[in-house]
Amino acid sequence: MASRIGQVLEWFQERLGTREQLSKFLYRRLPEGTTWWHTLGSATLFLIIVQTVTGFFLAFYYVPSPEHAYDSLIYIQGEIPFGNFVRGLHHWGASVTVVVVFLHMLRVFFMGAYKYPRELSWMAGVCLFLLILLFGFTGYLLSWDQKAYWATVVGTHIAGTAPLVGDYLWRILQGGTEVGARTLGRFYAAHVLILPAVLYAFVLVHISMVIYQGIAPVPRGKLGIIRKDRYKEVYEKSKAKGESFLEHLFRDGIVSFLLFLVLVWMAIAWKVPMEELADPTSTTYVPRPEWYFYFLFELLWLFPGEWIPVATFYIPVAGVLLLYSISLLDQPGDARRGERLFVEKGCATCHSIGGEGKIGPDLKQWKRYGSPILWAELMWNHALTMELKIRDFGLSWPQFERNEMVDLIAYIQMEIGLPGASK
Amino acid sequence: MPDGNNVDSASLAPSRRRFVLTILALISGTVASVLGVPLAAFFALPAFRRAERRWLEVGRVSDFAEGRIQKVLAKPLIAQVWPYETPAVALYVANHGSETFTLFHNHCTHVGCPVHWNDQASRFFSPCHGGVFDREGRVLAGPPPRALDRYEYKIENGILYAGRIYKVNEDLRFREWHHV
Repeated sequence: MASRIGQVLEWFQERLGTREQLSKFLYRRLPEGTTWWHTLGSATLFLIIVQTVTGFFLAFYYVPSPEHAYDSLIYIQGEIPFGNFVRGLHHWGASVTVVVVFLHMLRVFFMGAYKYPRELSWMAGVCLFLLILLFGFTGYLLSWDQKAYWATVVGTHIAGTAPLVGDYLWRILQGGTEVGARTLGRFYAAHVLILPAVLYAFVLVHISMVIYQGIAPVPRGKLGIIRKDRYKEVYEKSKAKGESFLEHLFRDGIVSFLLFLVLVWMAIAWKVPMEELADPTSTTYVPRPEWYFYFLFELLWLFPGEWIPVATFYIPVAGVLLLYSISLLDQPGDARRGERLFVEKGCATCHSIGGEGKIGPDLKQWKRYGSPILWAELMWNHALTMELKIRDFGLSWPQFERNEMVDLIAYIQMEIGLPGASK
Repeated sequence: MPDGNNVDSASLAPSRRRFVLTILALISGTVASVLGVPLAAFFALPAFRRAERRWLEVGRVSDFAEGRIQKVLAKPLIAQVWPYETPAVALYVANHGSETFTLFHNHCTHVGCPVHWNDQASRFFSPCHGGVFDREGRVLAGPPPRALDRYEYKIENGILYAGRIYKVNEDLRFREWHHV
């Protein structure tokens, strides 16, 4: 038996070089200190796969027309074995995906993993985030109950308040001038055909980038700030101390499995809420969106009358643009510019770095403290002395704009020979 | 540098390279536009069809008590291109007497939540963000940007019909069609 398996493996090995490919994949090194927080990306992928597979099967019974959509779901949940379970996985999985994607973004943000050279991975990630919200928006119309119908009326109205193109957008989303059969057809096609194709394309791009660049080094201690021109060297050094991808895959597996258990529990314990059949003539229904669009819905309280587009268009668009641009705004320091600033801002009047002592302490001794945060602490403790000396020398109190502080730090790090910074 | 896998890029004449790339660009452009234009029209144009909503029969003129506001459900009179394409609609009918009416659309002018007429309070209320309208549809409170939209109407043989929906200005007169 064992030799039979060996033969099969050998057959593949000859044709595809399976062994090398696999070991390249499983034993590639990760930077040191990779954490449990790094499992959220693979957890998202796992949830996307669960959504895809449960979606495939729901599509066997679901009928995307106003006459049948609601009843087909009642049928799925009432008559089909495990109908509640399968729909439950898909329904609750959507919310869990939004939560995990959001946590993944927070992890990437707080560990600075969106910075050079991973700006494009971050941007592809933002696209994935928006696609997942679109999945939510197109998905919940499909149940064609009151919540589905009226949340979509509100949603398309919100799109309709966009300046200039609002009316076109409103019509194109609805396929006409009201939410009806064509709207359902559109949302269905988007939800099950177009969005999945685009999503998987972006997943592929995103993951290829992550594999090409490697996981970002954890910004702990001396890896806190890495200069651009030293990046490759520092990263390789950090990888030399790191573990294999297989070790991390273990963490990935555990986290995905725990999420899976939570999801199964949700699908068993909580029935998917279905309201009454959609009724466009209702005048007593109180529309409420899914929880992840609630902030937008409630934001509308703050902007009455002609200010509506601020809440419905300008704030969301500004938010998205900010998400795209943070990876470009927040660049690592440039030591050459920092060197110029060291003189221009007057630092060099009192301080040397590894030279003969001047009036202030030589900054070479800062090497002991490593982190620029501790430097700031040191300066804070001597702020009074510094201020008096600055006045004595007739200097002005230095002000830093834009990226200047980061450039200055990069220069000092380079001069005192901190890792990630030495010459 | 030429090797087993790559041809020396210098061995390819620039004119030949330009020719090949131009032909490929032309092919891509032709395929994209021959497919793209019909597909875009297929997707978008039905959303811009005019006058899909014809006159709706709202009820007999005599059914509406003078000075009151009543909710009415109406079904499209003329069969649509696609069944159920225009679902039943709800509208509020105010009878001012001597065959003059105001027909209100039941969507709030803010983000489209269904407004509710409260007879005791003599107000329309929207359930989402606190929009309140008076019996003429004027905004009294909340975020709605304009008075309630109205239907044009006509009376034929004692029957009230509703037509297209329009927006009103501050004097509650016609400003523009809600959609045409």
